[in-house]
Parts: sequence; C-alpha cells; structure tokens
Amino acid sequence: MTRPDTTREDIAVMAKVAGLDLSPGLFDELVDAYRLIEPSLQRLRRSRDRRDEPAHIYDPRAFMAADG
Amino acid sequence: MTVGDTHALDLTQLTLAESAALLERGEVSPVELLEASLAQIERLNPQLHAFITVAAAEARVAARDCEARIRAGGYRGGIDGIPVALKDNIETAGIRTTSHSRILREHVPSEDATVVARLKAAGATIVGKTATFEFAVGGPSWDLPWPPAVNPWDAAHLPGGSSSGSGAALAARMVAGAIGTDTGGSVRWPAAVCGITGLKPTYGRVSRYGIHPNTFSLDHCGPMARTAEDCALLLQAIAGHDPRDPASFRESVPDYRAALDGSIAGLRIGFVRHWHADHAAPEVIAAVDAAVEHFVALGAVVEEVELPPLQDYVDCKTVISLGELFAIHEQDMKTRPQEFGRSLRQRVLAGSIVRAEDYVQALRWRSELAQRTFAAFTHFDLLVTAGWLTEAEPNDPNGDDFFRNRLLITMPFSLAGNPALSLPCGFSKKGLPLALQIAGRPFDEATVLRAGDAFQRSTDWHRRFPPLHRFEPVAQVAA
Repeated sequence: MTRPDTTREDIAVMAKVAGLDLSPGLFDELVDAYRLIEPSLQRLRRSRDRRDEPAHIYDPRAFMAADG
Repeated sequence: MTVGDTHALDLTQLTLAESAALLERGEVSPVELLEASLAQIERLNPQLHAFITVAAAEARVAARDCEARIRAGGYRGGIDGIPVALKDNIETAGIRTTSHSRILREHVPSEDATVVARLKAAGATIVGKTATFEFAVGGPSWDLPWPPAVNPWDAAHLPGGSSSGSGAALAARMVAGAIGTDTGGSVRWPAAVCGITGLKPTYGRVSRYGIHPNTFSLDHCGPMARTAEDCALLLQAIAGHDPRDPASFRESVPDYRAALDGSIAGLRIGFVRHWHADHAAPEVIAAVDAAVEHFVALGAVVEEVELPPLQDYVDCKTVISLGELFAIHEQDMKTRPQEFGRSLRQRVLAGSIVRAEDYVQALRWRSELAQRTFAAFTHFDLLVTAGWLTEAEPNDPNGDDFFRNRLLITMPFSLAGNPALSLPCGFSKKGLPLALQIAGRPFDEATVLRAGDAFQRSTDWHRRFPPLHRFEPVAQVAA
C-alpha cells in the first residue's frame, strides 16, 4: 500500500531502483514532479476485477515484414 | 473570381480550398503561393517564432517542379501546389528535424516520415518546420535553443501546444495548411487558442512512422488549417494504412470532402457539458452553449449526456504517458539530463517512478474509460464539448508550470482514440479565440468534419483575423 505522505527518502529509493544517479538539484526536481503526479497515482491504485483487460492488444501481423 | 482579381489578392488570406480552386483554374501558380507564404514568414517569424527551420531553397525547387507539372496538364487536385508546414517532430529527409530539443539540434534525417512522403506525393510544398514543446511533451520551455512560439492574437499569450508553431503559423497566415501531432491534445489545444481548426484523427488512421514518439500508445498525427474543409483536404492526403507503423489500421479511406454536404439535419449530438461547465471560464461556457444552440438551429438533435469525470481521463492519460516517456528518454536522462529543458526533464523524471503495475492498471482504466465513452455512441452520432477550458495562457517564463493541476478537456478523446475536431466558436473579453470540440465514432472523421464544416458555413468565427500589424518589423511600421 502506498502512503500518501511519501518521503524524500522513499523517493530516493525509487530513483535508485530506476537507475538514476541524480545531482541534488535534479533530485529536488524529481521530488517536485512526484508531488504533482502522486494524486493521480493514488486515484489509479484501486482494486480491479481480475478479468479487466488493459488497452494493450498485440497483433503479431503488425510486426511481420511488409509484403513486396 | 477572375484572373485579374487574383493578382490583387493577398494570397496569404486564402484558405487552402480557395487556393486549390485558383490553382485548378490556372489563376495562381504554386510558386506564387509559396513566395507569398515565404514573405509572410520573413515578415512575422522574427516576432512569432512559429518556424524553427524555413526550408526556402528546397521549397522553391519543389514549387517550380510542381508548377511545370501542372502546366503540362498534370494537376492532381487536393493539396497539389499548396505550401504546408510540418511540426518539427516529423522527420524530413535532408531538412533538420529537432523536436525543439537541444539533443537533436543538428539532426538531419535521411528519410521522410510517411506523412511527409504522402504530402509530397499529393503535390504539397513543404515550407518548413514549426516550433513545438520539447519532444512534443508538456509545456513551453524558455531554456532551449529556440524560444517558444507566440500567439498571433496577442504576444502576451502563448499559442498552446505542443503543435505551437503550426497553430501560430496558421493564425498568422504564413501557411494555409499544417501537420501537427496530438498525444493529449497537441493539435486541438493550439487550434483552440489560435482561432484555427485542427483534427485529431482516429488512433491508427494516420501513420506515426518517422514521427518522434511522445507516448506510443496515444500518439496521433493530424491536419491543422483554418477550416474543417481544409482539414478534410489534408487528411485525404495523409490517411491510410502504413505497414511501417504497427498501430496503423487497414481501414478504407473515404472521400472526406465529398462528405461535406453542408447539412447536419437529424444528426444526434450528445453535449458533454459537465466536462467544461464545472471548470471553464464563464465566457467559454457561454460560447459553447451558443454553439450548441447553433447546431440545434441547423437541425441537429442535441441532448446533454454525462460521461466519467474529466479528472479520470487526465489521471489515466498522465500515468500512461509518463511511464512511456521515461522508457523513451531514459538513456538521455541518465547521461545528459542538463540538455533537456526543465519542462520535459521534470516529466521524464516523474516517469522514472511510475511502476510497471501502475502502467498496466492505467491501461486497464483506459479500456474502461473508452468503453464508457463509446457507450454514448449507441445513442449519439457525435459528442460536443469545449475545445479548451480557457483563453490562451499567458506568455510568462516565470508563470505556473503547465504540469500543475491541469485538467485538459482534450484528453478524453486522446485516451478513447476516436476522432475529434477543434474549431473556433467565439472570443474572450480580451479578444482571444475560444473553441468547440466535436468528436465522432472511431474512423468516422467524415461525420466530424461534416458537422464542423456545416458550423463554419453558417458562422464567421474562423474568418476573424488577428492583429498582425503588431508584429510588423519596426522599420516597416515607421515607414
């Protein structure tokens, strides 16, 4: 469960997991950005029916070499 | 109109369809149209920053070739001989394509994007490359090699985005046709605040091959012009299946212009008033209400309809976009973050902490929102709502970041992927354009354009002219 009061330390861990080695200035930018998207993420993270399909249908024909 | 009249005309004032009619009758040449366009760009671009690159030499060669072909009886109709501008995230062989980014400052592609190849095959003359937000993402940045474009209606305001330069170039009569891209509203927002007309076609209708990605699953490419009729002519040239774009659909392309019969009598229109009525400025609400009354007067049957809250679409789109954005720009973010402008960098950073499960849940939410949106089309042929929630935003480098608390009324149709047209429907007290949005069933661009064209045949909002004298070079004004 994600806490709404994610700390700078939490965000530092997430940045490290993402492979980012940020200067203090860029880390501050990341914290600002995270504060802005955190409400969207909170609204997104809710229970869904197991059968709900994502809008992500793969059509293998689209990746075949073009005819002729 | 006679040949004599033609030479008294200011060719920059013509719509694309009006220019095409003169070309077909031999009353104007592609070279004359191009030179009028280049002169207008030279006069106004230093103040408006609509173009990053003007491809004058290449365009002159193309226009002369086109003129020779037309004189030899090879006129192709449609957009043949028409100068067209391209957003600078669309690759052009031999012409620099920067995506308005320091990272691609010297990038000269070796191949045309599919839309460019199709425009050229239809006979269009590529005039140049227009300003965008960096990689077509987010908001304007003042820390890039080129300044953001300026709104021709008032320099104190921005032209929206991310197809900013295309919107400004059309409003400033530099061109009569342009191509933009739209992931969350980037064709329709500049159309709305620049007083022009822009169409986001159905996802998969127009090829994305050769266009720099913003969000693979949401990227659209579409026409921008001054009228719905002109958008129809441009769409005709660029629509259709492309095997090089895996998202492209094998769907037949109808004759869009033939669909513009001027009548919308009996069309059933769902009015999604709550999307803007809860958030927009009163003058936006009044302008859209008046436009809906106009549809009723034209014979449409209009009923209010309630769809999921606008915030749901915005949250869902934001998470999908940020997740994909980080995947696209991860390498540059790790190796040269200082080369990004602040606006894009902040979004790429935010994308780094979107989890895989957040992304998949957002895609599941997208399915649900699309189904609930499309349910309305069992009862309605079209949906209408505001084109944008405000007049054009202030041109202020120190203003609020566009990231903050933004509800974008264009996003529902970005997520659903159905066609949506933005067109002018009024003006604010400050004299800035306001707009309406018309959306249709997937792949039914024809009905969307028909409604937009019928509206424009009986209104004149799209014919209003910005005060371009304010942008004249000082020496000319003094003279």
